Amino acid sequence: MLTITPEAWRTMVAHAREAYPRECCGVLLGTLAGEDERTATVAVACRNAYEGERRDRFVIDPSDQLAAQKRARAEDLEVLGFFHSHPDEEAYFSATDLAHSWPWYSNVVLSVRGGALAGAACFRADEARTRAEPEGLAYPVE
Amino acid sequence: MPKILIPTPLRQYAGGAKEVEVAGATVGEALAELMTGHESLRKHLYSDEGRLRSFVNVYLNDEDIRFLDREATAVGEGDTLSIVPSIAGGRGA
Repeated sequence: MLTITPEAWRTMVAHAREAYPRECCGVLLGTLAGEDERTATVAVACRNAYEGERRDRFVIDPSDQLAAQKRARAEDLEVLGFFHSHPDEEAYFSATDLAHSWPWYSNVVLSVRGGALAGAACFRADEARTRAEPEGLAYPVE
Repeated sequence: MPKILIPTPLRQYAGGAKEVEVAGATVGEALAELMTGHESLRKHLYSDEGRLRSFVNVYLNDEDIRFLDREATAVGEGDTLSIVPSIAGGRGA
């Protein structure tokens, strides 16, 4: 289960809307209670470093990700996972998402239609990156 | 000795450590030292052909080693190596 605080959620939605009609991406930092109770308190908006059409692909800029990792250490938080948007598409975990994911992390996908948030879902990949299971997601209702 | 910062998904293969101090004069030697005693880490970091996997980024302090001398990059006292998972995707195939 991943719970997203209002402040983190605002950052995610704002980043997804700004990036529209391109995909946005970022890193989620927060706290862990056991393995499965995760609370994202900080969302770090990152640059989409994909060198092509960014309407349907993203690569989290690795230097932005390194900075987010450093922030997590400085603030005694964990990197819990990542988020990205699907412009004018459902919030599902695509084959491309799965192939380029890492196990353990929570992956939040935001559906953005016409520049407005239309849905969100969360997924976790298995060790072999062959399957992703839905993970419970709690976020503030706007 | 350089320090290696380990991302959460790999800590289970490194005895639960968040960071490890290792011997080694190069990035490659430092990673090899990290994997000594933690053999299951190897398959996550390196391909069967012995190449660092494409979805693993390694930074020496603030520099991506691909823009330095890759695994031959020299490391020393006070240096920090960060393993940064490469994360990508998208709705496109």
